[in-house]
Amino acid sequence: MNEPLLEARDLHKTYRLGRVDVPVLHGASLRVVAGEWVAVLGASGSGKSTLLHLLGNLDQPDRGGGTIHFRGRPLDALVRWEGDRYRNRSVGFVFQFYHLLPELTVLENAMLPALVGVTRLRWWRERAAIMRRAQDTLESFGLGHRLRHRPSELSGGERQRVAIARALANSPPVLLADEPTGNLDARTGAGILDLLADRHRAGLTIVMVTHDLTIAARADRVVHLVDGRVDEASASAVS
Amino acid sequence: MYAPLLSNRYLRSRVIPLIAVAAVALCVALVIIVVSVMSGFLEMVRQAGRQLNGDVIISYPINGIPGYERLAERLEAMPEVSAVAPLVDGWGLLRMPYPDGDEKAMETVQFWAVEPESFDRVTGFLGTLHWTPVTDGLRRTLGSRDFRRDLEESIGNDELATLVDEAAVLRTMEPDRAGALVPRPGTVLGLHVSKANRRQEDGSVRPVTGHRSGSWWMPRFEVILSTLPPRTNLASPQAENVRLRVVNEFRTGLYMIDETRIIIPLEEGQRIMHLDAQALVDPVTGQPTGLTEPKRATQLLIRAAPGIHADALKPLVEATYDAYREAFIAERNNAAFAPPTRGVGLVVQTWREQQARFIEPVEKERELMRTLFSLIYLVTAGLVLAIFWAIVHEKTRDIGVLRSVGASRAGICWIFLRYGFQIGVLGAIAGLGLGALIVRNINAIHGAMGHPPIWLGVFLGIAAIGSAVIAAWRSRGGALLPLVLGGTVALALGGLAAGVFWVRFVVGGIQIWDPAVYYFSTIPNQLDPVACISTMIGAVIFSVLGAFFPAASAADIDPVRALRYE
Ligand SMILES: Nc1ncnc2c1ncn2[C@@H]1O[C@H](COP(=O)(O)OP(=O)(O)OP(=O)(O)O)[C@@H](O)[C@H]1O
Ligand SMILES: [Mg+2]
Repeated sequence: MNEPLLEARDLHKTYRLGRVDVPVLHGASLRVVAGEWVAVLGASGSGKSTLLHLLGNLDQPDRGGGTIHFRGRPLDALVRWEGDRYRNRSVGFVFQFYHLLPELTVLENAMLPALVGVTRLRWWRERAAIMRRAQDTLESFGLGHRLRHRPSELSGGERQRVAIARALANSPPVLLADEPTGNLDARTGAGILDLLADRHRAGLTIVMVTHDLTIAARADRVVHLVDGRVDEASASAVS
Repeated sequence: MYAPLLSNRYLRSRVIPLIAVAAVALCVALVIIVVSVMSGFLEMVRQAGRQLNGDVIISYPINGIPGYERLAERLEAMPEVSAVAPLVDGWGLLRMPYPDGDEKAMETVQFWAVEPESFDRVTGFLGTLHWTPVTDGLRRTLGSRDFRRDLEESIGNDELATLVDEAAVLRTMEPDRAGALVPRPGTVLGLHVSKANRRQEDGSVRPVTGHRSGSWWMPRFEVILSTLPPRTNLASPQAENVRLRVVNEFRTGLYMIDETRIIIPLEEGQRIMHLDAQALVDPVTGQPTGLTEPKRATQLLIRAAPGIHADALKPLVEATYDAYREAFIAERNNAAFAPPTRGVGLVVQTWREQQARFIEPVEKERELMRTLFSLIYLVTAGLVLAIFWAIVHEKTRDIGVLRSVGASRAGICWIFLRYGFQIGVLGAIAGLGLGALIVRNINAIHGAMGHPPIWLGVFLGIAAIGSAVIAAWRSRGGALLPLVLGGTVALALGGLAAGVFWVRFVVGGIQIWDPAVYYFSTIPNQLDPVACISTMIGAVIFSVLGAFFPAASAADIDPVRALRYE
């Protein structure tokens, strides 16, 4: 088997609600190989979003609660700016509720990670290329005529496509998608999944969480998140 | 690179930051206006003090400096001195020509008896004359109701030129009983000595009309100055009088002076104050002693040569005085009428020392104002803080998104600091504009406030009714906000309109800047550049400071929590 691109080992995550500890993950492990599309299936509240946040370094596991390796390097060894860079370059997030910035245009939203990742100097030198890339992505998503619009002027499906374009702005190797179709009707959702499938065929590694079996079925591999653990045993190659 | 994009976008796409800009602008304008007017006022007090008194003053009140002419010569020989003017000052009662009838008004006046030529060289006295020929240049500055326009019509510019010429010598030629022209002493009165000179709305002065004599315009009237000379035989003090022909009036702009001072010829002042040359009488025998007491002057006003500071000139003048005194005693071999030593009654002062009584309180007042108004900065910071707190709270989710795409804490913090900086800069610039507009036009605004035009009242009234109607129309569907908003605007406009009519018809005009209180007849209208720059910088700094706390809290937002919002 290949070296895993992203590997979580024995993750523990506990939230504190006042005096009560709410254990969400206890001992979750996941190996994702480069080029794979993994679907994490779990009931609502099972900790799917939490797992994804940990994989994306938006949140950290409990102290001593396991490690995540990206290309063999542990995330908890990253210093702060390396963590910011990891989020900027190595992973792209897609959320259920799109989370576009309302003051920015579609094009600007799609460029956001590129904007965040460059210094002012580099921006002046490379802005044409950066804009071109975001524009190309949007055009390939069928949003070429919407570049100057505000997110509030778009439909849900269009917004999610902008969000995916944003996640791909810096061409990260891994896409972390948190119920990307959860807020869309079946047909629009299928369109979004087709789009992900295209990218997947082009080599993108995808970790997608969902509670919907039919959606999970689009992935190469499905794992179940139950009782805070990833049940690798239940993994089944669907396709 | 995203910080400029976001802060610019946040600035443009909502109303709240504009309110913050407006608030900062108002604060800045307020400080600029107050400090500028105070500074201008202080500058006017200083300028006037220096202009009217020369740079250095030797004074020996009442008794006067004996043989002052030779002291003046010595002083004028100094390269650091450009002009010297001797004068005799004192207080007296001036019998005015008005009103009709035998019982004339008396005004208390301070007379300055001067040689007009030297006095003009030190103080620029002739430049302060009010009744001058109306040249094209002057006419452009005159208001439409200025009395000088009437004079140009009625007596003509030639006669006005004569008045200036006569003021320049403080003398007029008049026929005596036999019809021969003889010189008579003239006087120039401060413009507000005569209570018949009334201040107009536009700041100009117009004499009121008496029922028999036409207008009570002072030139050509005779006045009688009476004083009790202090240097006299105390057993039988006798008033001294001098009849003077008014040849012109002067206006320094310093109300306190224009209201009390009159200028008369030096010889007349010396005579009525008993400071002229006098044959000395032995106090015991009553026989003439053969000695003559020299003429005296109570002050010597000294103008420094260009580039010489008053503080530098003062010790030189002191040395010259001491040398003069020694020479005086050596020559006469007699200390009887010698000039006094310095320090006892006779003092050498710079204009600033002499005016300290006026200048220092104003300086203190300005510093107090500056300090008090610095509290405005805290208001600015508080405003920005409150507004930003709300914005950051509202933007929590966006901040989570930014963090998820790799924005650092410092980057998030920077967005809001930048944003605060922009609001500070915009507010400061707008405040400068507003402040400059108001300071520049402050006299017109003051005039309008004291005597608001009726059309303004009508306009405000119509605007009030209009906004009430619009508010009612907009909220006909039951919406509350337009009603509240329009109602407030209508009430405010209506209140202003009512204020206009109240001032016009009930109070009959109000005067906030009373020249009798503030010395000057116009409000200073120059911007104080130091105040402008320091206030603007302060506003920017405190806007950024106010933004700092919300910015830091934005940087600390937990992205996971922020993204859970929906
Ligand atoms: N900040 C928090 N504080 C306390 N509890 C939390 C916090 N975040 C998540 N939880 C809890 O952790 C559990 C897992 O949450 P998570 O969002 O990961 O579930 P999920 O599988 O994504 O659910 P869903 O399908 O509804 O999105 C939930 O019970 C939630 O209430
Ligand atoms: Mg979730």
